[in-house]
Amino acid sequence: MFSNYVSVALRNLVKNKLYSAINIIGLAIGLAACILITLFVRDELSYDQFWTKADRLYRLNTTFSIPGREPFVTVVSPGPSKGALERFFAQEIDKVVRLQSLTPVIEIGNALYTDEMIFADPTASDVLDFDVVAGDMKAVLTDNASIALSEKMAHKYFGDQPAVGKVMTITNYNLKRDYRVAAVFRDLPHNTVLAIEMVAMIDENDWHDQAFLFDSWFSVNNTVLFTLKPGVDISSVTSRFDAFADNSIEMPAELTGGKGASAFVQFGTTKLVDAQLHPAGLGEMKPTGNIATVIIFASIAGLILVIACINFMNLATAKSTQRAREVALRKVLGAGRGQLIVQFIGESVLIALIGLVAGIVIVEAALPFYGEFIGRDLSFDYTDGMTLAILAGLVATVGVVGGVYPAIILSGFRPAWVLKANKSAETSGSAALRSGLVIFQFAVSIALIVGTSGVYGQLKYATTMDPGYTKDNMFVLHRINRKGAEERRDALKAEIQRLPGVVSATFSGDTPGSSDENNTSVEIPGQENTGTILIGVQDVDHDFFKTYQIPIIAGRDYDRQYAGDSEPSVEGLKEGDVVNSNIIVNESVLNRLGFGTPEEALGKVFMIGRGNGVKNALTIVGVVPDVHFQSLKTVKRPEMYALDADNYGNLTVRFTGDPKALVSGVENIWRSLVTGVPISYEFVDEALAEEFDQEEATATMLALFAGLAVFVACLGLYGLAAFTAERRTKEIGIRKVMGATVTDIVRLLLWQFSKPVIIANLIAWPVAVWGMLSWLENFPYRMEAWVLGPLCLIAGLIALGIAWATVGGNAAQVARANPIKALRYE
Amino acid sequence: MLKMHNLSKIYRTDEVETIALNNVNIEINSGEFVAIMGPSGCGKSTLLNIIGMLDNPSEGDYLFFDENVARYSEAKLANIRKRHIGFIFQSFNLIDELTVAENIELALLYHDIAASERRDRVAAVMDKVGIAHRAKHMPSQLSGGQQQRVAVARAVVGNQSMILADEPTGNLDSAHGQEVMEMLQGLNEEGTTIVMVTHSPAHADYARRTINLFDGQVVTENLRAA
Repeated sequence: MFSNYVSVALRNLVKNKLYSAINIIGLAIGLAACILITLFVRDELSYDQFWTKADRLYRLNTTFSIPGREPFVTVVSPGPSKGALERFFAQEIDKVVRLQSLTPVIEIGNALYTDEMIFADPTASDVLDFDVVAGDMKAVLTDNASIALSEKMAHKYFGDQPAVGKVMTITNYNLKRDYRVAAVFRDLPHNTVLAIEMVAMIDENDWHDQAFLFDSWFSVNNTVLFTLKPGVDISSVTSRFDAFADNSIEMPAELTGGKGASAFVQFGTTKLVDAQLHPAGLGEMKPTGNIATVIIFASIAGLILVIACINFMNLATAKSTQRAREVALRKVLGAGRGQLIVQFIGESVLIALIGLVAGIVIVEAALPFYGEFIGRDLSFDYTDGMTLAILAGLVATVGVVGGVYPAIILSGFRPAWVLKANKSAETSGSAALRSGLVIFQFAVSIALIVGTSGVYGQLKYATTMDPGYTKDNMFVLHRINRKGAEERRDALKAEIQRLPGVVSATFSGDTPGSSDENNTSVEIPGQENTGTILIGVQDVDHDFFKTYQIPIIAGRDYDRQYAGDSEPSVEGLKEGDVVNSNIIVNESVLNRLGFGTPEEALGKVFMIGRGNGVKNALTIVGVVPDVHFQSLKTVKRPEMYALDADNYGNLTVRFTGDPKALVSGVENIWRSLVTGVPISYEFVDEALAEEFDQEEATATMLALFAGLAVFVACLGLYGLAAFTAERRTKEIGIRKVMGATVTDIVRLLLWQFSKPVIIANLIAWPVAVWGMLSWLENFPYRMEAWVLGPLCLIAGLIALGIAWATVGGNAAQVARANPIKALRYE
Repeated sequence: MLKMHNLSKIYRTDEVETIALNNVNIEINSGEFVAIMGPSGCGKSTLLNIIGMLDNPSEGDYLFFDENVARYSEAKLANIRKRHIGFIFQSFNLIDELTVAENIELALLYHDIAASERRDRVAAVMDKVGIAHRAKHMPSQLSGGQQQRVAVARAVVGNQSMILADEPTGNLDSAHGQEVMEMLQGLNEEGTTIVMVTHSPAHADYARRTINLFDGQVVTENLRAA
């Protein structure tokens, strides 16, 4: 009996080539999409599971709540938090480690490198696991002149020679030291949020000049990890974070107005295994994913598979009349309904199995490209029990879900009626169900098209948004504050300004797109006790606004001819002394300080601290509009532009003409003036666009999978159109005899398939618009919502066009057929 | 009304050549009632299809109102057909998904006729064939005789001057068969030309003239005294 089922099933597949091809191709694509996305999802879920103490490993997050600003949320923490955690949570927390990521200049022999290295506390080897292949990790973490390298870095620096014992000269800020390689560890797997390639010990004595690294509560740049003692619940820590902040952080009373530190600094925690999919804020070591993306793509994979299953159901019931006779004969010969259901479900499982094999072929072919695209080395492991279980589950689900309805319909035919009437056993119920399912397929496809175009729209909006300065034809030279470059920076600027095509150049602390935060507290004379006002600071020079082409809306630009347009010296001054200088601020500062209109604000004064109790009275001489100097993903902030020569890390060059010529000119100048620092530069427009790489990748992936969904839905529609036309040959014949032309018939058939697509639009639009509006919430600056209207309309027309193209050819062929045959020989 | 001169129809496949009609010469005048008889496979239906312009002859001329339509394209034939010719089939050929009224209206749908006028004419013709009370029913709810009456109504609703009936009584019992024949006779008396293929000598007797076909050739033509 079984071999009879199989041979009937296989013969049916061969006989109905179109039907088989549509089902198998559709299922293969659906299953391939499912497998590819499952690989991605499993990888996302596997992040940081491999640490031995993963179940009690947490990261400390820090949020600054600055009055009048959006909270500044980070996944990094202040340096003193380590000691404070150890003291305050002595009962709960086992070990704490800080990971401080710096990018030094590295000299090995004559070769220069700049790579990220991690300074870590000795507890690093307790909290994390390093798979040491040579040397001793403990020794590295207890000696401030030793370093550990990953195998990748060891190979990069020393090739095939053993790295242990080799010396690297590393310069961080003004600390230049020879480090001996004391350990080599296996590269961390890719599925971790931590980026650790080189490790050296934190010796706080080395960093007295850089207090912000380890010694300031108001500077966040350490990734702080801690392990709980076994059996401790994390809530016993999180519930006391406010007390921890109040207890640990000393804030001047005039700043807090009597409130505890927890009103300004809040701590939180993320279990490290959750960090990849639940990003908590700025400061990740590498780009993370997020759970929403995972859910969206998992849903899309499911939907594509459902669309393929629907094809299967629709085609199976549509052509059920062809098999009515076989069913009738089997029943006459004594088959029970149950046996027939088993037979038909078996057939659909067989088709699903063939689809799976084809799908795996697609997966294997696509995997290298897919892996490269999502930036991971994914592989499909056939020996993995979980993988096999998922595959078997998919085939069983698809086979049964797709097969059960046709099986019930087919097995329900009454033999006497089928054999006698020999005509369509089609019930109106199954036709209605088919329309419903086609509507569903197209609703999903249309929603995906709208979603894709919406994501592209936002991307286009964000990348073409006017940041408030002219971002084109600007070139940024980094690292000019490194030892070896800093001494020559004025000469560098002067030389570069002499290059042909250079319009102007300016020093600054940050460059566009940076998410660095530098704020200072501000007082208005006479209102000292009204609490803290924190204002963002950008360190610039006199040519900044000219170079960035930021208009001055009131007052004037900085000018070297005014003595007040400079950073005042505080040398020799004592507590209570006041120095004066001029300042340019943006409009938000006026709102924050209550200084009225830009014109009214000119000449107004506010105070900032200069250390050791010395104050600096700043007179507003110019006002500029708010610009997006920081990341385009953050909200614009009140910002002052201070002339602070100590903090110039970058030189921005505005140029005209050929960028290549400029780059080679700058490279020559750098080489002739700077020793010991590799050059590093970028173009401002590119740097801004890079911020949206992740959205771009999401958009591409969405486009791909939306395309697949539409394709599979159209496969089904094509098959359905073919079978429907076949079923309607008599009707078409009659209409032709009555005088209908080919055009009339084609129009009739097209309309039949347009109705479900149009209804699908009405369902898809509100869903897609709602989804897009929620997604757009993620962006403080977003495209206007009305754009979604035309996008919906276009998506609908695209779907309709594709449906017509799919059905049209078949309809024309059917319409041209001679009606006589259909009418005579039924 | 129509005249066929040395008309032949040959079906060719790769290996076989079948002569369905061989040098047929027929003339039918307006207002005639003609029956075509002959054994199965003699070419009756092929002849009817060519008369109805559902098919082109292979050779010879077919003059319809003095217009030689033998080599006309499908679209041109469709245009003449829908204005002049109504069809009645043995198996009724109603569309299962449309109601009785909609089936009849179909014959007007492809002419430029306003919806209100279509409604009036459908109502009138349903009265005439006695199925007005069934207007909203589906074909499957009707008896065979009633279905054929719907088909007759559909054939004449467009004021066609000629009705081609292909064994109109073949699927009906004798009582219903007679009813349909009487209806056709009535239409003929009102001036409609009727060409009917039939196996039934009794029903052929309703016709004024009988053409007997054998192996694609006209063998005899009998004229019945009025």
